[in-house]
Amino acid sequence: MTIWDLLLQQIINGISLGAMYALLALGFTMVYGIIELINFAHFNVFMVGSFVALWVLQAMGIVGQSHPLFGLELIGVLLIALIATMVITGLIGVAIERICLRPMRNVPGTAAMITTIGVSYILFNLILLGAGADSKNYANPLPNVRWEIGEAVLRLREVLVWAVAFGLMFGLNFFVRRTKMGKAMQATAQDPEAAAMMGVDVDRVVVIAFFLGSALAGAAGLIFGLYYNYTSFIIGYTAGLRAFTAAVLGGIGNIPGAVLGGLLIGLIESLGGQFLAVRWTDVIIFSILVLVLVFRPAGILGRVAANRS
Amino acid sequence: MKSQRENSIWSRALLVAGAVAALATFGATPSGAADKIVKVGITLPLTGADAEDATLIKNGALLAIEEANAKGGVAGYKIEPVIYDSGTATAGQYDPAQAATNTKKLAADPLVVANVGPQMSGEGKAMAPILSEADLATITPSSTNPDITNPAMAGQFRPKGKAIYFRTVTTDAFQGPNMANYVAQVLKVKTVYVLDDSGAYGVGIADAFQKQAEKIGIKVLGRDQLNPKEADYTTILTKIKSLKPDLLYYGGVAQAGVKLAKQAYDIVPKMLKAGGDGVQGASFLKGVGFPSADGWYATNASPHMLEDPAVKDWIERYKARFKVSPNDYSITSYDGALVVMDAIKRVAESGKEVNRSNVRDAMQATKLKTLQGELTFDQHGDLLSKVVSVFQYRHDAKFPDDDIIHQQKYEGVAPAGS
Repeated sequence: MTIWDLLLQQIINGISLGAMYALLALGFTMVYGIIELINFAHFNVFMVGSFVALWVLQAMGIVGQSHPLFGLELIGVLLIALIATMVITGLIGVAIERICLRPMRNVPGTAAMITTIGVSYILFNLILLGAGADSKNYANPLPNVRWEIGEAVLRLREVLVWAVAFGLMFGLNFFVRRTKMGKAMQATAQDPEAAAMMGVDVDRVVVIAFFLGSALAGAAGLIFGLYYNYTSFIIGYTAGLRAFTAAVLGGIGNIPGAVLGGLLIGLIESLGGQFLAVRWTDVIIFSILVLVLVFRPAGILGRVAANRS
Repeated sequence: MKSQRENSIWSRALLVAGAVAALATFGATPSGAADKIVKVGITLPLTGADAEDATLIKNGALLAIEEANAKGGVAGYKIEPVIYDSGTATAGQYDPAQAATNTKKLAADPLVVANVGPQMSGEGKAMAPILSEADLATITPSSTNPDITNPAMAGQFRPKGKAIYFRTVTTDAFQGPNMANYVAQVLKVKTVYVLDDSGAYGVGIADAFQKQAEKIGIKVLGRDQLNPKEADYTTILTKIKSLKPDLLYYGGVAQAGVKLAKQAYDIVPKMLKAGGDGVQGASFLKGVGFPSADGWYATNASPHMLEDPAVKDWIERYKARFKVSPNDYSITSYDGALVVMDAIKRVAESGKEVNRSNVRDAMQATKLKTLQGELTFDQHGDLLSKVVSVFQYRHDAKFPDDDIIHQQKYEGVAPAGS
């Protein structure tokens, strides 16, 4: 393996990892952008998503590590799994907002944030008790298709991760910028009171933000399972923390910033592991976070107090 | 009238006498010989990534205790198991802090005279000092980190001096190096990359393997450490792929091992892969599955007994009771419980009080025929016999994918010595 092949391979690894962080980071950033709440339940909505997707795949008869499907059948199965998972996790997000967070909307201080930590633990333990503590073998419908570029390998699963992640990110971008509801979201982010006076239904905007964020987390759960061929009740913590870091790094509340932050963290992780050592991964990631925040407190693309004038 | 009053007085007196007699009988019952109780702890990580094997191990000890109780107990004592879970949801696997808490609970109950466990050395390191203070002995069926019984580290792990950490397996001081000998002699390995999972056991066995590998001329191309909570090991595996070692050696348990094996199958499918007893067993096999597990070498710090005809009857009893197949550490756990009960028996028969201090002394003097042969301990608690068995996972489609007995092949004993 030449150094260039190696570099290319690590960039492929890093972008795949980063795309998952980015999908998760979008959920943090949207909710924060609108109600200035850090939603820690998001960690485990992602984890629940990977289980929901696993169950949907199993319900369609796909069991075991190697159950390859091809062509339209593969696309159909993946689309059904993706849509079902996104709808279910989206509804979980809505339920969390409606039951646990809306009554706290106007409570000052950190009560709502602490509540999200509680909800996160409830989800975590529900899956632990319901599905068991062992590592799960993920259902794998992907055929073993791979392309070789020099000695670097690009597999179908990486292409899938990229396609789903970037497809959803562009979709979200379009929704927020071009649709009426998206504009209502932007307006609410800038000033909820003024938006309400202009006739924007703020509660509805918040519900939509939770639905979209949680649906993206569900999608991330599905591609996580397919990519690593594994899931477990503990996957939420590390991935969630990295994704949250990505959102802060990119500028929390800022949608392109979350994507940029996610990709950066994925690349830092893979290139740092290659050229230093993987045991230093967390040290590298969080050092860069601290450095960025010292010099740009609002993150790379964020502006200080962009949301409130 | 008078007679009636007399009558009632008499009847009251009778009632009182009856009540007194009844009370006396109640009072007498617990001291009756047939119902004396001593408790034996069983502490294992029954939650998390290692739960599968921990349960098989727990069953082994339980079976021994149940069989003894069914035969009328041990020297007149009924043995009551006290089971504590040392795995926590937060850790996702064994949790040393929880193991320490459980040990304090055991130490606080004077009826607990000994313990079987832990599964993991990370737990053992947290438990040993507490056990030493309480003069409470434990016997581990699977934790193999040598530090805990190392006399040079006695100040840390047994501050009160006496051995309290007995094992029915040997340690990584043999498991790691003997496997290095095996890969050099049998698999003709010249270069290796070593990984560990940052746990006490994983770092220890990887260090021991690496030291011996360097000593016998295997070139160590690199060493890194996995974060067991991280999902992505593609980075390190890509790096290893570019270095082209003959062998990837992994010191660690299932939580990181499962993910490593799956991703290694994708990235370095043809490279030889090996680990210690952390990748030997049901948790690893079930989590990884086939084809990813195919070809991995693993070791056990005990003789391989499941295919021994002498153990056949025992396996049937185990399966009948628990509806699952045992692993080799179910046997070492069964043997551990036998050692504890043998010690209780000898203390009781010698007329001494059955307390934890006397039971510890009796365990030290063990000379007992068990399933794995005759067990005796050195003064630090380690087994005198030191056997490391080598296995390789090989898929056999005739049996279920998670059938640990049939999905791996016993390769023999790893050679000792330098």
